[in-house]
Amino acid sequence: MKNLQINQYRWPSITSARACKLLYVPVLIFFLTTCSDFVEVDLPKNQLTSEQVFETKETAEAALRGIYGKMRDDGLLSGSFNGLGYLMGLYTDELDLYALSSTGEAYRDHALLATDPIALGLWNSTYNQIYMANDVIEGVGNSVSLASEDRDQFKGEALFIRAYLHLLLVELYGDIPYITTTDYITNTGVARMPKTLVYNQIIADLILAKDLLPDEDISIGGEKVRPYAAVADAVLARAYLYTEQWALAEAASNRVITEFGVLEPVLNNVFLKDAPGTIWQFKPNSDGDNTSEGSISIFTSGPPLTFALSNSLVNAFEAGTFIQPGDQRKVHWTKRINNSIGIWYHAFKYKQRENTGTSVEYSIQLRLAEQYLIRAEARVQLGDVPGAQQDINSIRNRAGLGNTTATSVDAVLNAILQERRVELFAEHGHRWFDLKRMGRAAEVLAPIKPGWRATDLLLPIPEAELLLNPNLLPQNDGY
Amino acid sequence: MKIKLTKACFIPTFIVGTPKQLLMIIMRTFIFLFCTALFGFTPRHVSSQNDKIVIDEDKVVTVDEVFDILKTQTDYTFIYHEDLFKDFPKVQLKRGIIRANKLLEQILSASSLDIVVTKNNKILIKEKTSHIRFQQRSVSGTVTNQAGLPLPGATVLIKGTATGTDTNFDGSYTLTVPNPENVLVFSYLGFETQEITVGNQTTINVSFRESISALDEVTINAGYYKTSERERTGSIGKIDAKTIEKQPVSNPLAAMQGYIPGVNITQSTGLPGSGLDIEIRGKNFITGSTDPLYIVDGVPFSSELLMQRNNAVAFPRDGNSRGLSALNLINTSDIETIEVLKDADATAIYGSRGANGVVLITTKKGKAGKTKVNVNVSTSMGTVPFVDLLNTEQYLEMRLEGIVNEGYTLETLPENLIRTSPDLYVWDPNRYTDWQEVLIGGTAYRNNSQLSFSGGNEQTQFLFSGGYENSSTVYPGDSKYGKASVHSSINHQSVDKRLQVNTTISYVADDNNVPNFSTRFTTLAYTLPPNAPALYDENGDLNWENNTWQNPLAKLENDFRLQSKNLLMNSVISYRPISALEFKANLGYTDQRVYQYVTVVTASKNPAFLSNTLSANSTVNISNASSQTWIVEPQMNWQKDWGKASLNILMGATFEKRQSMQLVHTGIGFPSDSQILNLSAANVVLVDLDQETEYNYQSVFGRINFKWADRYIVNLTGRRDGSSRFGPGRQFGNFGAVGAAWLFSEEPFLKESTLLSFGKLRSSYGITGSDNIGNYNFYDSYETTGTSYNGSGLQPIRLFNPIFGWEENKKFEATVELGFLQDRVFLTTSWYRNISSNQLVGTPLPGTTGFSSVNANFEATVQNTGLEMDFRSENIQNNNFKWTTTFNLTVPKNKLVKFDGLETSTYKTQYAVGRPISISPGLYHNTGVDPNTGLYTFEDYNSDGVINSDDLQWREDTAPKYYGGLNNTINYKNWTLDVFFNFKRQRGPTFLSTVSFVPGQPTNQPVSVLNRWQQVGDEATIQRYSVGSNTLLSDTYSKYKNSNEKYTDASFTRLRNISLAYAIPKDLLRGIDVSIYLQGQNLLTFTKYQGADPEQLTQDGYLPLLRQFTMGLQIGF
Repeated sequence: MKNLQINQYRWPSITSARACKLLYVPVLIFFLTTCSDFVEVDLPKNQLTSEQVFETKETAEAALRGIYGKMRDDGLLSGSFNGLGYLMGLYTDELDLYALSSTGEAYRDHALLATDPIALGLWNSTYNQIYMANDVIEGVGNSVSLASEDRDQFKGEALFIRAYLHLLLVELYGDIPYITTTDYITNTGVARMPKTLVYNQIIADLILAKDLLPDEDISIGGEKVRPYAAVADAVLARAYLYTEQWALAEAASNRVITEFGVLEPVLNNVFLKDAPGTIWQFKPNSDGDNTSEGSISIFTSGPPLTFALSNSLVNAFEAGTFIQPGDQRKVHWTKRINNSIGIWYHAFKYKQRENTGTSVEYSIQLRLAEQYLIRAEARVQLGDVPGAQQDINSIRNRAGLGNTTATSVDAVLNAILQERRVELFAEHGHRWFDLKRMGRAAEVLAPIKPGWRATDLLLPIPEAELLLNPNLLPQNDGY
Repeated sequence: MKIKLTKACFIPTFIVGTPKQLLMIIMRTFIFLFCTALFGFTPRHVSSQNDKIVIDEDKVVTVDEVFDILKTQTDYTFIYHEDLFKDFPKVQLKRGIIRANKLLEQILSASSLDIVVTKNNKILIKEKTSHIRFQQRSVSGTVTNQAGLPLPGATVLIKGTATGTDTNFDGSYTLTVPNPENVLVFSYLGFETQEITVGNQTTINVSFRESISALDEVTINAGYYKTSERERTGSIGKIDAKTIEKQPVSNPLAAMQGYIPGVNITQSTGLPGSGLDIEIRGKNFITGSTDPLYIVDGVPFSSELLMQRNNAVAFPRDGNSRGLSALNLINTSDIETIEVLKDADATAIYGSRGANGVVLITTKKGKAGKTKVNVNVSTSMGTVPFVDLLNTEQYLEMRLEGIVNEGYTLETLPENLIRTSPDLYVWDPNRYTDWQEVLIGGTAYRNNSQLSFSGGNEQTQFLFSGGYENSSTVYPGDSKYGKASVHSSINHQSVDKRLQVNTTISYVADDNNVPNFSTRFTTLAYTLPPNAPALYDENGDLNWENNTWQNPLAKLENDFRLQSKNLLMNSVISYRPISALEFKANLGYTDQRVYQYVTVVTASKNPAFLSNTLSANSTVNISNASSQTWIVEPQMNWQKDWGKASLNILMGATFEKRQSMQLVHTGIGFPSDSQILNLSAANVVLVDLDQETEYNYQSVFGRINFKWADRYIVNLTGRRDGSSRFGPGRQFGNFGAVGAAWLFSEEPFLKESTLLSFGKLRSSYGITGSDNIGNYNFYDSYETTGTSYNGSGLQPIRLFNPIFGWEENKKFEATVELGFLQDRVFLTTSWYRNISSNQLVGTPLPGTTGFSSVNANFEATVQNTGLEMDFRSENIQNNNFKWTTTFNLTVPKNKLVKFDGLETSTYKTQYAVGRPISISPGLYHNTGVDPNTGLYTFEDYNSDGVINSDDLQWREDTAPKYYGGLNNTINYKNWTLDVFFNFKRQRGPTFLSTVSFVPGQPTNQPVSVLNRWQQVGDEATIQRYSVGSNTLLSDTYSKYKNSNEKYTDASFTRLRNISLAYAIPKDLLRGIDVSIYLQGQNLLTFTKYQGADPEQLTQDGYLPLLRQFTMGLQIGF
């Protein structure tokens, strides 16, 4: 700053232009050299870079917990109003809508538009969960500091998540892209993949996942809230069933049933958090929370505010006779509410609507009864009618019903569809997938859905998505 | 007697001068009061006694020659007897610089001379005449304004001295004057200064003229420097306290609405505490906000309030996406001026953050003079306008027609439709409620009290003020908004004026518990069936009508509260080692704290659906946030005038750091709802968010202003900025501008014009930028999910793209300013063009990428052009009557000039090259109702026989075509009437398009749905009613809502403000100023728009703007 001093004798020899320069230079140099890292900031305490996340087991595991949390709270598998249980329940013959809801009505009436916001939300949240799974697969793959058994386990879990979500998507939308990378440039322009190829990918991922996953449930307290080999097998059985690979379906479901043994005999215990027939379930957000399914389904006085079980579902339970009591699932898994205005039923598989201090029920994703029904269907398709009957009877007997009387292949298949209806009602859209797979959707739904069209077998690809990525064209027929 | 008269004349010297002489000229400055030390006068006006006289070589000179040197280096003329200094000794001068007073002290040390500064900068020097000693005399008089009212506190000074006085409450003064040549200077802020030579007078009465046309006296704050209206090269709009005071508004932006050309402000809700949208010269960036940079007393102010915005917590946005605004944490009564910097010349010194313009808010400062107390109290009453909705009879007719149209009767209606139709089957068909009256029909009261003390002396001035306001809402319940503020300002300067310190401290706290968003009162007011049941049953409890409806008042039981506090401190310290050079430091600190909670309690729920564990499901969500910003700005200002030239150089640097944190908890399940705010009583406590962010910013900036002959001005500004919002290697950017002005009215050929009193051409060009992207966006980071799954989870929050950088905004402007008839008529016309490129946008991505967007710079260019006109006229001005008119008009035009690869990009449907960026996405074109089917029909653009997304070809532009304001102020004696209209031509969403249900379904509708199709052959505008099981009809309805019918003409002219004030004559109140005023806000709106309010650009669920009526009282003494 010496040059800035006004010196009585030297000042006149300094020209004004030079004076400016002399003033400017030290200031500039000072500020630019001493503080060049002033504008570099570290990430805040609540953020980590992708790389850091996969450096330690704890944070990598937290990334997976993040995905499970998302799946539980948002999207296809959530038990809430944007989950398959509610939406496909309305779409089929399981649920009646009582709320004035234009979105709910669109599903109930088969008046879905390609612009449907719920469908867009489901699509986006599911692909977001798939992105998260892919990021775990890539992050774990690049990590040098994770132990190899941890790497295998995390990768197996992520592969399983990716495969399972794609399985639901392909069932809903038909041909879809199978996303295996986090690279957004690739994913921006993906095209739809024929659904047979999608199934192949799903099955390949599941087989790989099954190999990588531990054989035993590793969840804290054995709560089955993290996937293990049998979970992958259970979904594999379903994937084989959907692709009509009967022998493989039988084998996969057989492995699961062998591992788990017989069904829980007490109906009221089937949906408790420690029910032995549970293969995989979601841990609630906080202790004391129970399931979204319970909180949205249960009402205590009529008329219901949102939805109730449809009459046709309630009537589908076999009634009792003098000799034989009726279907105990109607007694224990549904609940009647009546007053002077009317009679309504709500699903009562989950008994808890509110926080109970200590959680009693978790949202069950996969349970053993489904595996019996998968094996039954695979067996009858393979010609093993007695084996199929045996599996159906396992389910029926637990519900207090006598053995099935179906003997022909068609009759047994009908019996399976009926049994699935009353066993798996209001669970993750099973009814819709069954009707569609067995070619019974038009027969069952056309009479009761004013907007029914043959093209309703597939949901519309969200219009916003088609606009953003024309490679996804054409739209599914009918939209 | 021969009088020697010399006049400083430096032009020849400059022309023939050597470099050394040139330097002398550079160093030349006014010597105004050089005689201070010598003659016992105290310095008054400038610090010129410290100024230096340049001696270019060692020499011995006479006193006369010393005066010659002084004369050539000053503007002063010295008058004295030719032989006055004849006998004085010669003086030896050394080469170098000497202070003027020191020099004089040397040459006149033994003298007894009288020195008098007279009117025309002439300095009289004469011998003290002992034999004819002038009799000191007392001069008195009264100072009044044009209306003849006395002006207390006006300053009367003997020119060239510090001797003087202030006028008393009755405008009178008495002053002892030593010399008849003395000149009295009368000054009062806002009035033209007058100088009167005393002569033989003993009574001097002065009547002031308001100096509205004194361009030099209007100081314009340009942020880092000040300029005058006359000399500015940039485009700066301004409003002052006078305009703000007459409007009963709580947000500073609301007070600006319509007053400044080029500034488009939209208020989207009438709720107290909410924010406003502002656009300065159009929307520059495809995504990203239009928020300008706000600077309050030199400290950057974030307009964003640190609220909890996640879905779990509803806040009282009433549909307003912007939520609450931090600008409410500025007390409008404390504001002295708001300046809006618009063009490159004005904004480039703010570099990377100037792209959207800069709003400078300056708070009030104390003034020297006797201590003044000012009290202002007012009360406002506000209501909202209603929309015409169906009454019960019309409504039920619509419902039944909808049933019949679908082939049903009340008896045969399918069960699922019966379930959703309690209005037809359960509720009383004779009942009628206008739900607008019940839910938004209240009167919102606003009480505002402000108190201030100010005063001080030459060295130190102070101002302390405090204010409190509270507003209720038009909603049911007793919710309200309150705001308290304290403000203080202290200025001090040393006696020699070298050191100046200004400090401002403001603290504002507000408390907002207006009903939370989930009540949706505005939406319900428009949609609840008119025969919906009573709110309360006969016991006075909430009526649930056997669970057939959701009682809208139940949600009021849930509490919302948002308390925010803002501390703003600022110090400006400046020191002038020599008069030409000033070192300055601007130091600022702000601290914002926001505490917010939302509860969901048992009482808000339908009791029929409650289980035994009553409060086990009650929740509370509590957010605590705070944000601190500090800023340090060292600066240096060097100014030199020589001859006709004047140079001003400013340099400085900025260091800014902003840190914020937010902690959000949810508590679930309480032993009782009365403990809901006590987190430790909750069964479960979750931490939803625990975050902190840091934003660092640094820059160096400079300005060179060169002025020649008072009519050619060039202004260069530049800035180099670094921001932590960008990745490594991309943090720095350079910005700059050049501005020029030519005051052609100063040219000799126009100088004598009697018509044209002022003429200026100015133009500027430059580059500014924007880092408006949010913090940490270049990292692909993971963040906690806020939920637990056997422990907390992590989630990736964005896609990775570290290579984005500054957005650029190139601004050009050309302006002509014309003043006629002594500037009584003044017209400013500007044309501007802003081109924004390197657009930093969240590029929308298909969902298959896992995210909805990625941040990137886009090769897209947006151009904003526009014409702005500002007109001011003093129509009539005489002693009792004054009428002034101001008018402004802006005609903006926005265009997307270039967008590489638009057709293949994700923006294809949203934008079109050559069209404005505010254009709507493609819409269907409704071609009316088919007379045969009664369904809407649409234009089949591609003639493929189906109406689908390929036919989304209609585009609407909602940007305003033009807007402006017209203000008339009339003063008659003690009365002042202000009438302000603002107007806007624009298209906006129709009210009907916001009702989400098909007419015929169980929601109420505006009366415009009555013009519907009923039978074959009907020509109607509304398609046939439907009870709601018709897919085809739902489809056409949803297309209709996404068609050109979504928009309509929403132009309006609004009596934004009318204000009438009466000042009670002072002689009635012994010197106390008392005025009474009445104000009206939004009292009248002229529009063709059918809906609650054409001004709101989104109609859905927003509370319309209030019509307010205010009464107030102001007392000053």
